[in-house]
Amino acid sequence: MLEFTCLIPIFTGVFAMFLPVRFGRGILVVTALLHLQLTIMAWMGKVTPGLPQYFAASPDGLLVLLITSFVFFLVSIYAVSYMSETEMTSEPIYIGCTLFFLASMSMVALADHLIVLWIAIEATTLMSAPLIFLHRSKSALEATWKYVLICSVGIALALLGCFFIVLAMDIGNVEVPITFSSLSLVASQLDPMWLKAGFIFLVIGYGTKMGLAPMHTWLPDAHSEAPSPASALLSGALLNCAFLGVYRSHQLLYQAGLGDFSSNILIGFGLVSMLVAAIFIFNQTGYKRMLAYSSIENMGIIAFGVGIGGLATYGAMLHLIHHSLIKSSLFLSSGNILLGYGSKLINKTGNMAKLFPKTFFAFFAGFAGISGFPPFGIFISELLIILGAFQQGRTISISIFIVALVLIFAGAARLVMKMSFGKWDEEILVDEKMARVLPSYALLLTSIILCVWLPDSLYQTILSAIAMIGGSVNG
Amino acid sequence: MIVFSNALLALTLLSVLLSLASHRLVALVKIMAFQGIVVSLVPLFLGHHMTMGSILMLQVMILIKGFLIPGLIYVAVKKIKIRREIEPIIGYHASLFAGLIFIVVSTFIADRIHGSLHGGQVLLLITAITTLASGLFLLMARYKAITQVIGYLMMENGIYLFGTALAKQTHTQYIVEFGVLLDLLVGIMIMGIVLNNINSTFDDVDTALLGQLKD
Repeated sequence: MLEFTCLIPIFTGVFAMFLPVRFGRGILVVTALLHLQLTIMAWMGKVTPGLPQYFAASPDGLLVLLITSFVFFLVSIYAVSYMSETEMTSEPIYIGCTLFFLASMSMVALADHLIVLWIAIEATTLMSAPLIFLHRSKSALEATWKYVLICSVGIALALLGCFFIVLAMDIGNVEVPITFSSLSLVASQLDPMWLKAGFIFLVIGYGTKMGLAPMHTWLPDAHSEAPSPASALLSGALLNCAFLGVYRSHQLLYQAGLGDFSSNILIGFGLVSMLVAAIFIFNQTGYKRMLAYSSIENMGIIAFGVGIGGLATYGAMLHLIHHSLIKSSLFLSSGNILLGYGSKLINKTGNMAKLFPKTFFAFFAGFAGISGFPPFGIFISELLIILGAFQQGRTISISIFIVALVLIFAGAARLVMKMSFGKWDEEILVDEKMARVLPSYALLLTSIILCVWLPDSLYQTILSAIAMIGGSVNG
Repeated sequence: MIVFSNALLALTLLSVLLSLASHRLVALVKIMAFQGIVVSLVPLFLGHHMTMGSILMLQVMILIKGFLIPGLIYVAVKKIKIRREIEPIIGYHASLFAGLIFIVVSTFIADRIHGSLHGGQVLLLITAITTLASGLFLLMARYKAITQVIGYLMMENGIYLFGTALAKQTHTQYIVEFGVLLDLLVGIMIMGIVLNNINSTFDDVDTALLGQLKD
């Protein structure tokens, strides 16, 4: 019963809403542990879906589930310490909603049915909206409103995309369940025109959620207004789930022999996202917004890599893993910075290297990681994407890709340097604590470990996930 | 029977144009309620075979689209005391004109694609695309949060019509009906408006000031 990964967080979430706060924190960590355990059991093949007509343990889904579960576990440890420091007014709501959020993300990862996937992605919007609104400030309200409205439009268009794919089935006279696994077997009989139309709408719909430009406008607001543990989840886990929706649709088109069409669309969206991030990151005033734009960039990289195909797909999958690890670590560090300086503005921070040595180490290392320096995994993933693109002879796109990377590094480095070594004479508000630094370290360390030693089961799973769109390590 | 469905579709188109040009929010809500009922009735007159389940679904649709959601919006409008959209981003006449252009464009699109559909009705497709596009337009062309929600609702009606136009009614699996879940999102948005007293999304206009402008 793999569905327990959704059911357990729902049950515990309901409990946490009504129990006193100190139980709630315990429930959060225990549920995260249980979820991680179930996920690992699923990886070992010990747990299988109980409703095979709706859910399946596909390799790409398992990958996303593992990342989600791992990031969630570390974030929940951080959140416990964070909550005791900030005296959140609506802590039961936070705990309950994060657990529901976890449930909806697990549902996305496991969904095999077209509509179940859609419902799950809609559910992630509903469950994460209260997290963004947690601080109840005016700006939080605006961010939440934008998030709900823009993502709802996206989700409505994705539904239209689902209609089109069902129509492609009808026209091709295919009578199979509307699941990705059974559609992939008959993909070549589907009507190509409606399949293409469906793909476009699905990419626009799920791409909105994934933060692909130009549908990204909600993302910097939402990610910067949410409390830091929630931002870490939004960036490190939710974006992957939305990506899964796009990836599944791309798979379907590839199997129908329309891979070129969907690849080009993904490459286009990827490059536009990277360029937009490069332009907007330059003059950012808030560090959480800067990180949010970096997420847009990284989602662009992943879309680009998947679009290129071949070796780059492998790079994209690695990038997915390492981006989640490093970006959630960065958001967790940014939570410490926010507690310490009491402001989200870069100008109101400085001299972190002296005042916040532990957080500074995590933040700076995370920044180095996200910019693609070794020993962090993004170095390898970006290298593989670039190599893959050269193999395919995509010289123009790859030059845009590299230019965007350089621009983003230059823009972000300026801001990070200011935060780390700039002048700051005033006192800091809240000192850093080990419980709030260790999760960041753990996430970064995992990225380093996975860079030098990739467990065989993980490697095989990535290979079988990319084999479905014709990707392989041999190019 | 087919003729009757065309009349319904014409009414839908009319309501779309009316909503694009209406100043007053209460009138807009009434138009939306009307549109919701008409849109939910369309499948009944398409001459498809109706099963017990789909008839039941139809009732639910009418209830939600025609009464529940517009009712909620009405409550919200009354509660936050806004009567009209003061400064639309795009003016009413321009909006109306845009609506007419949408009809022309969707006629063109529907003409191109209806050939590949089994017995697809052109007018149904035209209405669906126009409603969808006008909803999106309304969403973008108005400042007020409540009008944006109404635009979203209209867009959703368009998607529902699209689904009805495309779905092979012999299909055993429910697809179009899942559109109801979008109403859930609408409900949440309205709840957000009522609870937080959102008046204008981006630039928070003082509600008391708006209350002074009586009709």
